[in-house]
Amino acid sequence: MNLTQKITSLDTFLAYSIALEEEAADRHDELADMLDVHNNPGVAATFRKLAHYSRLHAQEIRDHSKGRSLPVIAPWDFDWENMEGPETADIGAVNYLMNTAQALQIAMGNEQRAHDFYYQFSQQSQDPEIRAMAGEFAEEEKEHLDLLKMWMDSTDESVDEQVYDPDPAHMPE
Amino acid sequence: MNQSNAPIQIKPKDYKSAIKPVWCPGCGDFAVLNAITKALAFLELPKEDVALISGIGCSSRIAAYTSVYGFHGVHGRALALAAGLKAAREDLTVLVAGGDGDGLSIGGNHFIHACRRNMDMTYIIMDNRVYGMTKGQASPTTAPDWGDSKLTPGGTGIRPFQPAGLALSAGASFIARGFTGDPNGLARMLVAAIEHPGFSFIQVLSPCPTFRPEQMNWKHHVQAFEEETSSDPLLAAQRIQADDGMSTGIIYQEDVPVFQPGNGGAPGDAVRFESEFEI
Repeated sequence: MNLTQKITSLDTFLAYSIALEEEAADRHDELADMLDVHNNPGVAATFRKLAHYSRLHAQEIRDHSKGRSLPVIAPWDFDWENMEGPETADIGAVNYLMNTAQALQIAMGNEQRAHDFYYQFSQQSQDPEIRAMAGEFAEEEKEHLDLLKMWMDSTDESVDEQVYDPDPAHMPE
Repeated sequence: MNQSNAPIQIKPKDYKSAIKPVWCPGCGDFAVLNAITKALAFLELPKEDVALISGIGCSSRIAAYTSVYGFHGVHGRALALAAGLKAAREDLTVLVAGGDGDGLSIGGNHFIHACRRNMDMTYIIMDNRVYGMTKGQASPTTAPDWGDSKLTPGGTGIRPFQPAGLALSAGASFIARGFTGDPNGLARMLVAAIEHPGFSFIQVLSPCPTFRPEQMNWKHHVQAFEEETSSDPLLAAQRIQADDGMSTGIIYQEDVPVFQPGNGGAPGDAVRFESEFEI
């Protein structure tokens, strides 16, 4: 049974959607902190901006939820396909020397997975309210994805750029 | 799917301090910090009722990154400090954290005695099988053929400890293994460990992206134990021995008397004890 069959109420779907966005925002902030500490302010600012957009989306979903009683679900009881929510960036995908294009590539992967999550509900849910709401959210994720593509096109950095540190930390002694 | 009906009032971020971790980007220890804060928020523990004691090493910095009481202690002595604290302040929820070097090498003796003493605290070893802070030397959990350190060309040639097996043989009453790639699952494990009356031990597989970059592939190897938690030490020992060290779950849990000075143990009147040292 996939998640679109397990989630049969709009309230639960909204609880999942808020968690998806909040977890993504928290991770983006965490990545921003990592890059801040390692003196990579440009990429840190990019992750910070992504956290901001995820929080905006979470707030929009909360606005949709006004007057409803959403279930409180413990973090480990979300039945995500993987170990974390679909929009949550892989914490191991970052490098202290990474450039903005590489950060955007990670972000695009996150947005694509979030879009796919919502799109699946918009197509497969048995509940018409969930289908409609999920379709709206999927469209918003697509807009985010388009925005990221625009940012990517406007940067002169390359995702293929090799990181080089003349004094690397990873020299075992 | 399981759903909790209890409202969560405190947010995980409320348990984080304003200090940004200096861990390397991608370090597994970030996930442990997240899991701890999620577990504390779920349990709705007031910050002033929790203490996090740590030793020395990359992972031991964690005490500074939370807003609960913290003590960044001496190398290998986190458990000794925590035992003293728990003896004096039984009411506190005591968490202890550190790395595999801190906990199993210089702190190894404290570890085995903490296991058998069974004071009510939770000990988290963030195991990356390397000394990271000192730039990548073999630790007690490093494979014998890991030869990337200049100190041990060709590897140490010494068999590593199995932390779960060591804890079991030393008498720990709660033994689990978690993985930082599953921070939510780790948080659930921490809740169970904190709620367990007695000494709970969690070995957390926590990749080091800097000195052990190959560990970033652990996410493809880690799997959940198929068996349920056992209270039979023989079964638990078999599971630990049969496993490749990459399975996660609560391996062993048993209800045994908790040692707390003053509660059937040694006298533990902190005020009287303090008065004995008055000058």
